Amino acid sequence: MRWLSILIILLGLFSCKKDPTRWQTDWLVPVLNDTLSLAHLYNDSTLSISNNQIDINLSRTLLDLSLSDIVKIPDTAITQQYQSNFTVNNVTPGFVFVNSVKVHELELGDIQLKKVRVQSGQIQLKVYNPLNTAVLYQIELPGVSQNGQVFIQNYTVPPGTVQNPSVATENINLSGYDIDLSGLQGLEYNQLQSKLTLKTDPNGQAVSIYNNQVFKFEASFQNLRFDYAKGYFGSALIAGQEQFTLPYLDKITSGSISLPDLSLDLQIENGFKMALRAQIEALSATNTQGQAISLTAPSIGPSMYLAPAVGTWNTLQPSTLNLHFDQNNSNIKSYLENLGAFQQVSYQLQPNPWGNTAAGHDEAFAHSHLRLKIAAQMPMALSADGLTLQDTFALNLKQDLSKTHVTGATVVLNATNAFPLACDLVLYFMKDGQILHTVIADAQLASAVMGQIDPADGLLKKKSKIQIVLPPALVADLQDLNEVAVAATFATTDPNTGLAIQQHIQANAFLALQLQLQLQTQIRP
Amino acid sequence: MRYFLLLLVVSLQSAYAQQTILLDTYGAYNSTGVRRQVTDAFLYGGLIDSSQINRSLANLQQRNTFGLQMGFNAQWQTPWSVSKDSRKWGSSYRWVLGAGIHQYAGLQFSKDLFGLVFRGGLPYAGDTLDLSNLRAEATIFSKIGFGIYNPDTKSSFLLHMVSVQQHLGASIQKGTWFQDPSTAQIDLALKGQANLAGSAANTYGVAIDIDYHFGASDSADNQQQFQLLVQNLGVARSAKSTNYSLDGTLAYAGYSLAEWQQTSLDELTSSFLDSLGYQKSVGPSWMLLPAQIRLSKTLDWDSPQRLEAYYGAQFILRQTYTPLIYAGAQLKVKKAWHTGLGMAYGGFGGLRMQAYSAFRFKRSELLLRSDNIALQNGASLYLQFRCDL
Repeated sequence: MRWLSILIILLGLFSCKKDPTRWQTDWLVPVLNDTLSLAHLYNDSTLSISNNQIDINLSRTLLDLSLSDIVKIPDTAITQQYQSNFTVNNVTPGFVFVNSVKVHELELGDIQLKKVRVQSGQIQLKVYNPLNTAVLYQIELPGVSQNGQVFIQNYTVPPGTVQNPSVATENINLSGYDIDLSGLQGLEYNQLQSKLTLKTDPNGQAVSIYNNQVFKFEASFQNLRFDYAKGYFGSALIAGQEQFTLPYLDKITSGSISLPDLSLDLQIENGFKMALRAQIEALSATNTQGQAISLTAPSIGPSMYLAPAVGTWNTLQPSTLNLHFDQNNSNIKSYLENLGAFQQVSYQLQPNPWGNTAAGHDEAFAHSHLRLKIAAQMPMALSADGLTLQDTFALNLKQDLSKTHVTGATVVLNATNAFPLACDLVLYFMKDGQILHTVIADAQLASAVMGQIDPADGLLKKKSKIQIVLPPALVADLQDLNEVAVAATFATTDPNTGLAIQQHIQANAFLALQLQLQLQTQIRP
Repeated sequence: MRYFLLLLVVSLQSAYAQQTILLDTYGAYNSTGVRRQVTDAFLYGGLIDSSQINRSLANLQQRNTFGLQMGFNAQWQTPWSVSKDSRKWGSSYRWVLGAGIHQYAGLQFSKDLFGLVFRGGLPYAGDTLDLSNLRAEATIFSKIGFGIYNPDTKSSFLLHMVSVQQHLGASIQKGTWFQDPSTAQIDLALKGQANLAGSAANTYGVAIDIDYHFGASDSADNQQQFQLLVQNLGVARSAKSTNYSLDGTLAYAGYSLAEWQQTSLDELTSSFLDSLGYQKSVGPSWMLLPAQIRLSKTLDWDSPQRLEAYYGAQFILRQTYTPLIYAGAQLKVKKAWHTGLGMAYGGFGGLRMQAYSAFRFKRSELLLRSDNIALQNGASLYLQFRCDL
């Protein structure tokens, strides 16, 4: 009886437990309202408009070497010092006891420079005085001048001792200075000269100069970059590989496209007044399926030679070598239709391939560059057949089922398409990379070729309404899902034949999107 | 409350003069159109199915009311006179102690707002919904006080200290919702204010209760006796209440891809509120308590009439409350049992049936009353117990 009473009480308590108050509501939520077009790519060397069609006008620089990359003087320190061989007593004030020129050799490998002009960089001068009276230092760099004025710096260095010489330091900007490296006779190269003049303080006392006193200066050239150089620039080989990724092509997972007849130009530009050997060793592309293709053409592989540039400064005319690839001389069509996202070019560039045949008269100016450019121009047209782009986005739709939550959802996409591409959409909802739900749109985003010309803007357009119903099981799993992959399969289908045909992209083509969510929501206040 | 009851018990054992305990408790909710099943889901839990929502919508007018009242009052009419000097007026009065807790919630709303909340926006795409003239008032407070009581006239006056646990006063003077069926663009215009004071807002005040009986002192002369009951007439001050205001318009048609990439959800919410002119401030505020004023004909146990009329009117100092009037006939079934049946109109609902029964025992009385015996759009129960010790 007692247990029965307890049971009745417990049943009574549980029967009083309040069931959550709840009701169902239906909402329509606008999410995305945007117009996608290629307008931001016009006239930025990617796309241009011509005859109401979009042309691909692609121009990219793969390699760009300037004078500073070819001709470099590493940070260099030169020192000049004076040390008497014997003791000189009673040196009178104002006595000049050193006045000599020293030549310094620069280590520049096989580069033999006669003259350079400093674009930027500095020199740090450091002067040491071990004498017990002030000494006037005059430092002259005979080959270094600006506007005809030779580089001369004067310092009065206070008295010092042999153990603790007094030091004067100064940093001087060398921008705009010319440096003559041709030596005393003008026939040498890579030679820097310095001249040190010492004078005791004219207002000081008579002193003695001993043979253990070292008078010196140090000059450190730092971060020198040039906008002019003359000499022999060597023949060191510049070899390398440049890799680049073409956007969007790395999202293609299957399908194919067919492109119109097109051509590709590879241009080598020599802005230096020196001979140049150039060699394009290989140009290859690998697509997302791992299929690689190399561009084959007569100009891929062998060495080619470029004459020196002509002119000076603003009149400089680079010499160029244009490598043209089209269907007649290469496999360029197959190469591009492979949709290789990962491009790689291997090259060799060699200045002065025959040595110093110009007798040290190579020249380079501020605008001198060695460039490798790629250029393509063609109508933007393609034939797509099951071309599938897939991208994965993070998903974070955590919801607490004990509170107000979504119980059902439908994605509604209203689109106006002026591109000649139809598109089928599939969504893959994943947890940690594993697909748990696959949802297919109920209709196709129709191609503009299925539509009519809008007299307002003269564009061929087609409107579509697509519904993607998210099943209840998916909605129930929403809080566990963390990724969604969107796969869009494009096709340029002929409405009459149902076959993929080549379609031109209209000028000012766009895709207007209005994405809405229809949500069934259980409200739990 | 525990100490109050302890004091009560001690006093009962020590007092020799007549003293009275009065307990009354009540709970009522009603609406002009919302069906009881909808409200019951809020009170007792459960799913509100769409048929109940649709039937409620069919009942609703353009302007509707819903309200809920609950409370408990206890009063101890002590045996102690205010003055023992019979020449002074105080000798006619005794001390009385009282305490209680009350909850008032009232809501005025449009049919469109009810539909938007309970059905969502999708069924109304293309329609302009009128959300104007929304008013919500809710107050929960407790009180304790003392006063004087006249055993001859049965009139009393009490002064209470009041502590407000929760207070909400909100209104939307102008509000419209429109959603374009093709673009789903939402156009929302709102102008309104809200004042909220929670338990942490330190809200205290004073209130008076007046129970005044007048009319014939002896029913034998066939004249009526009336009761004017004023409860919770007073004010309270909140040291730190929060004020919200909205005055603006919002047009939302979705964002562009770039906006979604560059803006966080918090920033989007903030921009919504900015568009609607949202402002928030914190400061002290005063509030009127939901005072209840009732004028009614009192029940006369000694009336020689077997069948007679009863009637009364009640008003609560709140904008969401419509004055309530009621009238009916009462039957003296036995000397110690009166019962009545009548109609009531107002308050939070429309016309509805009312009934009561009163029982008189040797030293006690029990009154049971319902203002909505047909459970039409709500329920009501009033229970009063009086015991002479």
